[in-house]
Amino acid sequence: MRGDWDRGWLRYGFIAPALVLLVAMNIFPLLYSIVLSFTNADLVGSNSSWVGVLNYKFVFKFAKYGQALRTTALFVFLAVACELLLGFGLAYALRDRFALKPLVLTVLLVPMMLPQAVMGLFWKLILNGNYGALNQFLGLLGFSQPQWITDPDLKFLSVLMVDVWMWTPFMMLISLAALQAIPPHIYEAAAIDRASPWRTFRRITLPMCAPLLGLAVLLRATDALKQFDLIMALTGPNDRVTQTLSALLYQTVFRDGKVGLGTAYSYVILVLVIALASVFLRYMGRLQRESDS
Amino acid sequence: MERAVRGGILLLCLSWASTVWAEEKVTIWWAQWEPAAALQILGNEFEEETGIAVEVKQIPWPSYQDQVFLNFGNNRTDFDIVIGDSQWIGRGATKGLYLELTDWLPSAVDIETIHPRAARYLCEYPPGSGKFFAAPCETDAIGFVYRKDWFENEGERAAFKTRYGRELQPPDTWQEFRDVAEFFHRPEQKRYGMSLLTGRGYDSIVMGFQPFLWAWGGDWGDAETFEVQGHLNSDGAVEGLRFFKDLLQFATEGGENADYYFNLEAFSNGSTAMVLDYFPFYPGIVESMGDQVGFFKVPRNGDRRFISLGGQGFSISKKTPAHQQELAKQFIAWFQQRRVQEKWITYPGCFTANTELLESDAFRAASPYNATFAESLDHLRDFWNVPVYNELLAAAVQHLGEALDGVREPREALDALAEEHEMILMEAGLLEMQ
Repeated sequence: MRGDWDRGWLRYGFIAPALVLLVAMNIFPLLYSIVLSFTNADLVGSNSSWVGVLNYKFVFKFAKYGQALRTTALFVFLAVACELLLGFGLAYALRDRFALKPLVLTVLLVPMMLPQAVMGLFWKLILNGNYGALNQFLGLLGFSQPQWITDPDLKFLSVLMVDVWMWTPFMMLISLAALQAIPPHIYEAAAIDRASPWRTFRRITLPMCAPLLGLAVLLRATDALKQFDLIMALTGPNDRVTQTLSALLYQTVFRDGKVGLGTAYSYVILVLVIALASVFLRYMGRLQRESDS
Repeated sequence: MERAVRGGILLLCLSWASTVWAEEKVTIWWAQWEPAAALQILGNEFEEETGIAVEVKQIPWPSYQDQVFLNFGNNRTDFDIVIGDSQWIGRGATKGLYLELTDWLPSAVDIETIHPRAARYLCEYPPGSGKFFAAPCETDAIGFVYRKDWFENEGERAAFKTRYGRELQPPDTWQEFRDVAEFFHRPEQKRYGMSLLTGRGYDSIVMGFQPFLWAWGGDWGDAETFEVQGHLNSDGAVEGLRFFKDLLQFATEGGENADYYFNLEAFSNGSTAMVLDYFPFYPGIVESMGDQVGFFKVPRNGDRRFISLGGQGFSISKKTPAHQQELAKQFIAWFQQRRVQEKWITYPGCFTANTELLESDAFRAASPYNATFAESLDHLRDFWNVPVYNELLAAAVQHLGEALDGVREPREALDALAEEHEMILMEAGLLEMQ
């Protein structure tokens, strides 16, 4: 009897440190931030008071919060779509063995391995409208020299371009793994059946790659949703054209000092992201089941 | 082994003793530019005189504000004195960050000798209240630098006179400014008329727009009631913004998003006839271009001439120990002495708020831009310096940017900005909630 009691406490003893850490690092901040979202807490001020749902009212009233959400959605959609298409295309082109394949793959993977903030600063120099390397090159060829990171029609595309440059290799890597996991005998069977290349691609390659590609899309979408480093480095956090959720949150909490308002906005976003993620995961589950069958 | 233990104990004792008997030191945070380097030189002199060391930590401009306010989030700041932007004072005063200096400052400096505009915008909160939270350090204003050699070229002068029917000279009104900008704007020769302040990074677009806003009769709002509608989107304000936007057709390439550093580059590379910037950025230009350059005040519209104030004051952190606050006061009082101020203004880009010095011939003759700077001070005005200044600034940057980029019409942009400013002021409890 006493042995059971000791074993029970021992079990709790073993999980207690992890539990304490989990509560201290995750649960408590989460609950505390819910409370903060109903206050006028300031980053530097010591006094804060209860303001009810006022912060949430402001989130829905200020156009900039909706605008940042739309900018982020567009950014995530375009970035992930471009990276998926280019990455899959590259992987498809590189799937067969050839002499310099390891070298080509290594070179292609370099952008993904570099820190985003540093790359952002480098690209800022490259894209500078007056003395940037890109415009110097375009000038030599006799082309016009646009203001890549200040022209309102171009700056969003510039950030997008750098993101695509950085993260296409990731999509390529996952796509390559998916392509190489398809057993060759399936293609052999298709060839015996005289399936056209397009039909083989549509009926075999794509469905068999889909689960892994879906996972890659989920990972990239999550990452693109948080995009901050490139925007901070290229256009700054307060540029309406490129102001994503993370940039606006940084502006709200760290520049304006509005911790309460920032947390309220975070919770609105959290609810939206959870809703979108559940829809996506359901879709992924269905894809997986179809692929298995 | 025993020796190693003894050695370790001795080392520990020595390091403890060094912290106990550490030299007295005042730590100052300021942005990275020439005046900060000059302040360090003066700080070294202060150490020679008093034995109190002074360390000026220079932080790059783009991250200066972020680093200061993040540091204020700690229980104790890493600095004793922060040389904060004029707009920060409301936040510093009301959030318990800046030490109030109302009782102490008159004992350190004769308040009457501080230029009234510098005292109002750099040191007091609320402005004009007589409550001091800063002492003057760097008084600043925006002003134009121009290519004197182009203006004095006989061929250019004759061509200008033929085209506009008057002499080519530094413009006094905005209408004259437009003509001169138009005259020198020759993109096919890679020569441009002007570059104003239109950058979106921090506050440059706001500093660039303000002279137009005020000169055309608009304002950021009512300083007493905090009402914005009818001031910021008045007909005059809209006209001012239209004129501002219209001038950008004569701007250097990329001039629709030009910050302080962009303008410095645009002028230094010899492509632009006139650029607007803060005076402390000009010593480098004078050094490299010498007699080729001249300076003029921000032009007027009719009899209304207003100039964006810059500059920073010494504020003592409330989150530093009382002993450190006392040392900080000693340094500030020392800095305000006339003999130190006389030395201060001899360094490149260093300006004083001392009216006697500003009026002196020695100051006006000391550099080619000093006389223009001194004349500019009487026209200074500043942006909101309420605790929520940064939100107001960020909203202004976005809406004015949209107007200059052609995303919105000037009236539409100012209507939206006025509405957002009122919401921010309501949220801050300064304007009654509607």
